[in-house]
Amino acid sequence: MSVRVSDEMTKVRARAKRRLAIKRALTYLTAIVLSLWILLPIWLIASMALTTPEAMRSFPKSVLPFIPFSFDTMRFFLEARGIVPGLINSVVVALITLALSTLIAAPAGYALSRYVFRGRNAFRLSILAVRAFPVVILSIPLAVTFINLGMFDKVSSLALMHTALTLPTTVLVIGSVFASIPYELEEAAQVFGCTAFQAFRRVVLPLVLPGIAAAALFTFVMSWNEVFAATVLTVQNRTLPAQVLVSLREAPDAYKFAGGFFMLIPSVIFIMIIRKYLFNMWGQSSK
Amino acid sequence: MSIQPLRIPRRRTKVQWAPYLLITPALLYLLVFFAWPMTQAIRLAVWDEQGLLSLRAAPGEENEAGALEQGAKISVLDRRNVPLAPGEADGGPALLDVWFFVEGETPGGATVQGWAPESRVRVRETDPSGLPLRGTVRPRLGSATGQHTTVYAFPDERSDVVGELASRAEVGIAQRTSLEVWFLIEGAHNEKRVSGWAPSRRLQIYGDGATGRVDSGDTGRFTLLHIQRMLNDRFFRSALGTTFLLMLLIIPVQLVLAIVMALVIQARLKFNLLFLAIFAIPLAASDLAVGIVWSSIFTQNGYLNSILYSLGLIESPQAYLTAATRHWILIAVWIAEVWRATSLVMVIVVSGLQAISQEVLEAAELFGATLWQRVRFVILPLLKPSLQVALILRTILALQVFAVVIALGGGDVVTVLANETYRQYYALRNMNTAAAYSGLILLLSMISAGIYLRTVRGQEEAVS
Repeated sequence: MSVRVSDEMTKVRARAKRRLAIKRALTYLTAIVLSLWILLPIWLIASMALTTPEAMRSFPKSVLPFIPFSFDTMRFFLEARGIVPGLINSVVVALITLALSTLIAAPAGYALSRYVFRGRNAFRLSILAVRAFPVVILSIPLAVTFINLGMFDKVSSLALMHTALTLPTTVLVIGSVFASIPYELEEAAQVFGCTAFQAFRRVVLPLVLPGIAAAALFTFVMSWNEVFAATVLTVQNRTLPAQVLVSLREAPDAYKFAGGFFMLIPSVIFIMIIRKYLFNMWGQSSK
Repeated sequence: MSIQPLRIPRRRTKVQWAPYLLITPALLYLLVFFAWPMTQAIRLAVWDEQGLLSLRAAPGEENEAGALEQGAKISVLDRRNVPLAPGEADGGPALLDVWFFVEGETPGGATVQGWAPESRVRVRETDPSGLPLRGTVRPRLGSATGQHTTVYAFPDERSDVVGELASRAEVGIAQRTSLEVWFLIEGAHNEKRVSGWAPSRRLQIYGDGATGRVDSGDTGRFTLLHIQRMLNDRFFRSALGTTFLLMLLIIPVQLVLAIVMALVIQARLKFNLLFLAIFAIPLAASDLAVGIVWSSIFTQNGYLNSILYSLGLIESPQAYLTAATRHWILIAVWIAEVWRATSLVMVIVVSGLQAISQEVLEAAELFGATLWQRVRFVILPLLKPSLQVALILRTILALQVFAVVIALGGGDVVTVLANETYRQYYALRNMNTAAAYSGLILLLSMISAGIYLRTVRGQEEAVS
């Protein structure tokens, strides 16, 4: 009797186990298919960019990439007119944006996470709303204003504009980074004899620094990627995406694909660095 | 030791200044670089800086006598010279009249001092800076008014005559003055006749000297001209239509794909963080780069053709991204945008899923709900707030699709609102129509953002 029951039990159990295994396998399959969907295009553009221009023009292409492996296409792109200055401008704009945006956003983020004050919600909601606003709206009037003020076509003006774009996101991210550090830690430090500033400097700052660095990095990438305002606000001092965009029509394929790959690299590296903070960045819009 | 009565301190509501100080820089920055440009965009779109020309009661005076629209037909009744203040001649080419203060001999031999027009004096000698010092009176050939040149008390032919100079008489030039010609004009405004004085730089007088038109105004006015120009633009309908079509194509696919991704992440597989990072890569990818990536697949020598050719499905490479294959460009933009922007939705959905209590999901599974039943009846209803947020955020962001369209289609065959803004600004140099386009995008975004904010607020009330 007892043997029969346990027999039945094992059968049921085995069936349940099998079903679970199949489910698991299917989930893995979905995960892998989705990963391929994301990774394959990157793989393909990499194999376009990291080969000779002749191989790049050949048809049909082998999906096996890098045959022959060569930096010729990339070199062709980097030696094209305006690319190196554009690269320098892009980095300068992104660095100014990063510095300005972090400096202005950090106090606001701290205030949002540490204080309850009248108007806090209104401030937070307006920041949430502003984050979504298209850069297209701001670029045209700012271009007109910059022309009138003699600030047009300057790297610094573009950085001012980019700071306006990144600021809302940076405020929210830094706010959520501060919010993840319990206030009790600060209090405890003060109980043990730290001043408020010391408590901030010695206890909170070391804990939030990685998160703020991630936010700053995200700011950098947003500025690095931004193309509409960059194209509208500059003529001579183009950033890299703006330079690529305006020469896209006449550019040979080698220039195009190498350029696309070159602009894509930072984002891949960036995501790998900050994957821990992804949810601080976008996931909090519901809370 | 007496016991003091216990005093309960009155609660003082002290205003905390620290948070306000901390948010001030961010607030100011957003005011200057967000709120202000937005009002400027609207101003550029509906405000005509030179729309109206205000007429003066007397030449050179401030008192207004009415106004005429730019381009209005006018008739000239009178003209007068008005001294030009330095740096005043902006707005258009002014009709200038130059007069000299001269001293010379009358035909009778007496000395006379007064103003003579530049056209009557030939300058013979100038000082190093170019100012005239000496000259001779031009002879008047075959003139009915006589051989002599009249000298006036003021630089105006209507002023008192102080004397006459003989032709070819030598004169000393003491002073030079530039006068702008003002016209007394008459025209129709709002079907009423108005007349008044206006400077020549604002007017265009035709060859007959009696008629003309208002060339440029000096006062702004509300106008729908730029908006009309946008509406009549040959790309407008196509841009608006394509923007909405892309929205309709992209957003549902994105939501489904993002939910699948989120469920995969929620299943807590091995390498979970790696999968998450891979799914999130496009989050940081530039839209231009993504457009180029997909053009490497759809281009004639690209991977799509290579694969189809290798499989024997096509005989020769097909052209996808050309003017004749508009639908293929749309499909390419669609796929590229789904690839690029799904990550954002995914992250929002994942964090929404994490907020759902694990027990609810497990209970559903325990009671034998299938995957579809769990998604349909448990996960989706609980996820609704996050999905709304994602949906509206995506709607606003879909209004700025730009570089992907340029990279895949060049921007002519398939065009979107952002691209038209760029075309008006960059190719046509028409700031006002560009501003009208951005105003339209602003309006559409505001509508979406309004819904977005209400959703967020509703959610917060639901949470608390």
